[in-house]
Amino acid sequence: TVRPKNEVEQKQLCAFGEYVAEILPKYIQQAQVTCFNELELLIHPDGIIPVLTFLRDHTNAQFKSLADLTAVDVPSRQYRFEIVYNLLSLRFNSRIRVKTYTDELTPIDSAVSVHKAANWYEREVWDMYGVFFANHPDLRRILTDYGFEGHPFRKDFPLSGYVEV
Amino acid sequence: LLQTTGLVGLAVAENPHERLRMLYTKILGVLQNIPKDAAYRKYTEQIVNERFNLVQTETDVQKLQDKLNSGQIEEVIVQAENELSLARKMMQWKPWEPLVEEPPSDQWRWPI
Repeated sequence: TVRPKNEVEQKQLCAFGEYVAEILPKYIQQAQVTCFNELELLIHPDGIIPVLTFLRDHTNAQFKSLADLTAVDVPSRQYRFEIVYNLLSLRFNSRIRVKTYTDELTPIDSAVSVHKAANWYEREVWDMYGVFFANHPDLRRILTDYGFEGHPFRKDFPLSGYVEV
Repeated sequence: LLQTTGLVGLAVAENPHERLRMLYTKILGVLQNIPKDAAYRKYTEQIVNERFNLVQTETDVQKLQDKLNSGQIEEVIVQAENELSLARKMMQWKPWEPLVEEPPSDQWRWPI
């Protein structure tokens, strides 16, 4: 069985994507809607805090809830890490994804000033990928062992690690 | 209604019309400072004027909540305060300018 296509929701998401892209042309590079009705905004890394505050505070887009903050490692690209923010709007019952890019050495602005929930998520991304977050209140390791060296979720980190246990 | 909002941390607002009127005039004042052709100014002015008119024509709190269709009056007040702080920050960030930097051509290609 195949999920039935919901044309109405797709049109609404397309319209909202165009609305946001018209308001913030300085930072939004692309806006796309997947076939499963998921809206994604592709951002320049300087624009994380403006875009996230806009999505949280604007009346037509009250995305008050940060559901997830992850990173994707694609080693063949120039900017290998892709940071993904998943937001949920309780007023309008809709979700949106915001994606940015960075390489290993460039810091990214922390989203903690916009969403308090980003605190531990950013610690996890720092620990697992090595992406540094500027203005984070307390950036330290959260999942790896105390003297652990390396960033496990990177694609060039071997499956059973470098140290024998 | 006049005893509690039912929401944790939000007290019942006495005189919500006055507060909303003040907030909306402040937002419109801040919006005057950004260029007239910016999409943000256009859409926000549209929303704020619409809500402003509804607040001025409707004096009954319950009916105003139904017309605005956006949760309780106290939530509308909180949303207006958020919109005001957003407008002030937008003045500094200026997001209506053209794109800061184009991404590398293979950045957003999927599958790789």
